[in-house]
Amino acid sequence: MGGKVTCTLGEVKNRADFIVYWGGNPAECHPRHFTKYTLMQKSKFLPRGRKDRTVVMVDIRETKSVKAADIFLQVRPGKDFELMTILRAMVKDQEVSDEQIAETGLTREQLTDLIARMKGARFGVMFFGMGLSMTRGKHMNSAALLTLAAEMNAFTKFVAMPMRGHGNVTGADVIMRWQTGYPFGISFNRGYPRYNPGEFSTVDVLVRGDTDCAFIIGADPGATMPQPAIDHLAKIPTIVLDPHVTHTSRLARVHITTAPAGIAAPGTGYRMDEIPMPLRPALESPYPSDEEVVRRIKEAIAAKPDWMGQQPQMLLSQI
Amino acid sequence: MEMKVIEHATCTFCGCVCDDIELHADETRIHQAKRACVLGKAWFLNHTAEHKYPDALIDGRPATVDEAIEAAADHLYNADMPLVYGMSNTTCEAQKECVEMADLLCGLVDSHTSL
Ligand code: SF4
Repeated sequence: MGGKVTCTLGEVKNRADFIVYWGGNPAECHPRHFTKYTLMQKSKFLPRGRKDRTVVMVDIRETKSVKAADIFLQVRPGKDFELMTILRAMVKDQEVSDEQIAETGLTREQLTDLIARMKGARFGVMFFGMGLSMTRGKHMNSAALLTLAAEMNAFTKFVAMPMRGHGNVTGADVIMRWQTGYPFGISFNRGYPRYNPGEFSTVDVLVRGDTDCAFIIGADPGATMPQPAIDHLAKIPTIVLDPHVTHTSRLARVHITTAPAGIAAPGTGYRMDEIPMPLRPALESPYPSDEEVVRRIKEAIAAKPDWMGQQPQMLLSQI
Repeated sequence: MEMKVIEHATCTFCGCVCDDIELHADETRIHQAKRACVLGKAWFLNHTAEHKYPDALIDGRPATVDEAIEAAADHLYNADMPLVYGMSNTTCEAQKECVEMADLLCGLVDSHTSL
């Protein structure tokens, strides 16, 4: 689980009587999260379902999800880290000045009430979304929230879980962790994995122009990344694997159409709580699967001589 | 037309990965996705098994998959610092192949998470 204090959604469904959503909008981005796991479900421990649960939304604006919550805390944009730090202090009865609280856009009453409820919960869970992990502070925000959840365990059971977005990003984390020990932003250029987001993360690598060939699979950076990164992708040979001809495919040197995962290609996908789910494709695609194409490209590379002129390359011929 | 029913199908559109979807499909497209939400329905109903796009493109021209695989391998092999990126909308099996390929290339590997 990568060191997080977390649990599965099944536990949330059955036990969580105090639920915080921080910087996420499940009503629009994860539409069945409320009904399947958090709000609506009844269980042995929460026989009255919604009535047994308290739901808090922390966000910078009133999203559609706020309607479903009992308490809405509107934090000033970019002040999430400050708010979490203040909460961590107040949970431990440390002094916090009024100015410090005012900076977050909330009042002391709101925070004291929140902390009383958090401590009074039997099982608390904090879900955090992109509004927290992708704004000012980024991974430091996630770290602060995870620490707050961990520290709450001095009083009651508390966990935290990221609301992962599109497709199988959780799977990518898990697979990279399994294979290399790190979740993303990895370089093999010394022959062993090294991890350094900021140096090896894609946007930075592209903006600096530090790569001379890009292999893009199951993503469309040509539509989502900043312009200097896209310009670099157009400059170097880019290879794209995707079920559609995407923005990135148009600036790529090679595009290969593949079967869409879960619809026409079988395999495994990870849920946001890191539970693997088998995919049950309904269609048969005229295109090959990602897995098959990547394996064949890998084998074609392995058949070429390595840097010492060994043929084929040592690494794969040993397997 | 004969409809195939797939029970407990899995939707991978968002991180909820609902595994209780009932799909009604014929040869080329999915007609119904029961229990899926609006986003999930759109995801299932928008994909077809039609041959809509060329198998592969090299420099913008249609090519066979074999040619494209060779071309891709050449580009990656000749690069000093190749980058493997993305891996959100794909299976774990393909992700594992990607990491292995990056290892073989002594390159970079990264996912959406780093954005
Ligand atoms: S059905 Fe809706 S909530 Fe469930 S995984 Fe698909 S998009 Fe997400």
